[in-house]
Amino acid sequence: MDDIQTAVSVDELSFWGKHRFSLLIVLAVLVASSLVLTSIALYYSSGAAQLDLSRPGYKAVRAQAVTSDSDFQNYSSTGAINQSTISEFKSLYARQAQKTEAVDAFGGDPLNPNSLGVSDVSDQSSF
Amino acid sequence: MKTFARLLVVCLTLAVILSGILLLDVSAQNATMTDQQIELIRTNCVSAKNTLNQLHMSDALLRVNMGQMYESMSTKLMERFNGRVANNNFNNTNLVAVTTSYGLMLDTFRSDYITYEEQLSSAIAVDCSKQPVAFYDAISSARTERNNVHADVLKLNQYIDQYQSALNQFEKDYQATSSGAKQ
Repeated sequence: MDDIQTAVSVDELSFWGKHRFSLLIVLAVLVASSLVLTSIALYYSSGAAQLDLSRPGYKAVRAQAVTSDSDFQNYSSTGAINQSTISEFKSLYARQAQKTEAVDAFGGDPLNPNSLGVSDVSDQSSF
Repeated sequence: MKTFARLLVVCLTLAVILSGILLLDVSAQNATMTDQQIELIRTNCVSAKNTLNQLHMSDALLRVNMGQMYESMSTKLMERFNGRVANNNFNNTNLVAVTTSYGLMLDTFRSDYITYEEQLSSAIAVDCSKQPVAFYDAISSARTERNNVHADVLKLNQYIDQYQSALNQFEKDYQATSSGAKQ
């Protein structure tokens, strides 16, 4: 009697009822894929990709990245303002400014077609 | 059926016009380069690619290190001193104005670097032995973008100097105020 009742109840299940486990897996995969795609899009659009030296191809320069800027002192945002504190800040600021400005970052012209060897000298003006 | 035939004719006409425009564009690009130069690009293709890859790596390192320094100038020095001045009820308008401009320029620097890096990556991705003209154009665009990043760096340095001037002015105002109060 029980066997007959069980068989009837299984037959009454709808298509989605019968495949609910498969449906669960498909939905889980879809949600995971959409989250992965969103995170990859954010990774590239935010500029994090450009700063990520752990990417393949950056192994040679990875060790040269400054991981600690401990020589860059934090100036306290609390406390009194007097001639002594102003002078102290001025000297701290001047030191760091000099260090920052000392590097001519992205200067030079390494992408000049002549230095890359992809142009003859006469073509220099057209580039 | 007639409508379908007309639609087909219209589509074919559009396709012919579009391909004509594209062909004209390609021939115009070729016209700016001589055969000798195209051959030169093909010959030096491998060495140029190696140079680009090295530049790609060294610029990424420079971006990380310099970005950190520029960020620290703002967060560890300028903003903190501005806050301290404000907490002591002194006028910090000039200092804040320069800090704000510096912050905006730092944002421009970041976005310009992203554009440059994308352009350089696309230049590296071009097969220079098969597409020498496209390779040359991609390098040209990357060069322009790199110059923009360099211009941003120069402006950031200018703002650093301007903050120093604003600081000197603040010191003078402070000395004038304190000597006036003593008298």
